[in-house]
Amino acid sequence: MEESFLISRREFLKKISVIAGSTVALASMPWMKVFNEKVYAKSVNDKVRLGFIGIGDRGSALLKNVQVFEKILNVEIAAICDNYEPNYQRAIKFTNGKAKPFYDYRELLALKDLDGVIIATPLTEHCHITLDALDAGLSVFCEKSMARTLDDSKRMYDEHLRTKRILQIGHQRVFSPIYLEAIEKINKGEIGQITHMRGYWHRNGDWRRPVPKGHPELDRVINWRLYNDLSAGLFTELLSHQLQVANWIKQSFPTSVIANGSLIYWKKNREVYDHIACLFSYPDQSQFMYDSINSNKHYGCEEQIIGSKGTMELELNKVYSENPPAPPAILKLINDMEKDVFDTIPIGGASWVPETAVVDKGNYITNNYKMDETKLQLEAFVRYIRNGQAPEELPIQGYYSTVWSLLAEESAKTKERVTLMDKYRI
Amino acid sequence: MKDLVISQKRLKSELFIWTFSFAIAFLLNIYAILKYNNSWLELLTQLHIVLILSLVIYFIFVLIRLLFWPTKFLKNNGPKS
Repeated sequence: MEESFLISRREFLKKISVIAGSTVALASMPWMKVFNEKVYAKSVNDKVRLGFIGIGDRGSALLKNVQVFEKILNVEIAAICDNYEPNYQRAIKFTNGKAKPFYDYRELLALKDLDGVIIATPLTEHCHITLDALDAGLSVFCEKSMARTLDDSKRMYDEHLRTKRILQIGHQRVFSPIYLEAIEKINKGEIGQITHMRGYWHRNGDWRRPVPKGHPELDRVINWRLYNDLSAGLFTELLSHQLQVANWIKQSFPTSVIANGSLIYWKKNREVYDHIACLFSYPDQSQFMYDSINSNKHYGCEEQIIGSKGTMELELNKVYSENPPAPPAILKLINDMEKDVFDTIPIGGASWVPETAVVDKGNYITNNYKMDETKLQLEAFVRYIRNGQAPEELPIQGYYSTVWSLLAEESAKTKERVTLMDKYRI
Repeated sequence: MKDLVISQKRLKSELFIWTFSFAIAFLLNIYAILKYNNSWLELLTQLHIVLILSLVIYFIFVLIRLLFWPTKFLKNNGPKS
């Protein structure tokens, strides 16, 4: 596993050195510069000691990703914490009992020689744990979204500024080789002026996780995503990812949002919407149209970047030109002859042809997509810790994607167009 | 197993028919380039398609010849009056 990690990483770093040499590219992704740096404040001989708080599904995935490069990057998973017994036991098993286990995160924060913490708890726990960790002088990697409320999100960001500690929010797409290459192509004008964006995330499932029999009190702990006071549901769990991408592509943040939500399919034991639709406006008057549903998975997940010269489908790693190269003349001739022979001859009927989608297989945005973005974002976190600082653009991206996701929820609830209040601007 | 002997005459005539088929395919490519205003480079870059097309045309000729073969056979080997 380490070997394949090293090979794909080497290829990726080659690409990064090109990015780091380009002022234009670096302006859109300053967080990548750290991969090209050779000198660090904290020596590479000094271990970076991390603590994990919250080892549920996502926390476990993050922990396993760090384990892949633990030796290579001289990292130590020093402590783990979860107050839910099955997760606590599982974390001990994952770390072979080497990491110090805790039920209470405050005890973990009190450990000496810890450099940073990785927080993957339910949404409402993010704020107070992050504040305590920053206060304890630690660097923080916190899973998205930042917090359940605008006030908590702002408090987290302000505390990061006050303590001058690193705060990174888990938006892994900003480290994805596909997205990095896409941004480079966009900067070069390959798809022209970006006039519109569409995003969606469709799943077919109730989002409910099994609760141990005889413990109904654990339902809200395990299924926190389904309750309004604990989560904004699709807004904070899915939209925030893709909204971050839209903001990154536009290099700006929305000016207003109008959204709608409904609970029409999974009505039982659920408070958050199972269908949402949003329309974000940007300063250049372009729009980002978004919807997320829980009753059909046919269209899956995608961000479509629509420009005057082309279209990108980022999840599919595809780029399509508005004027794709003409097919070879001989093939076109054969096609036309086939049509003439086999097509039916219309007699009367509609006098127009429906403008169906252009059939074009397009090209791949990049072939260098083997490197996993979740690993890269965690590697970057380790490198930022060594550096003693991280680019401010990262927490800003995290902050605004959370804030605008929460504002979209507000718009859906109030049925009004919502803008950002000045006190939440950073 | 009996050896299959292809006479020189047959070989020449088959080669002639295939060359004729290739010429038709090549001319079709020229016509298509003119019709759709494509690059003349396609005369070279699309040679593989032209080659495939020439084989298709050749086999069409084979089919036509097979259709006429019974008549020709009867004419040559039928009862003599």
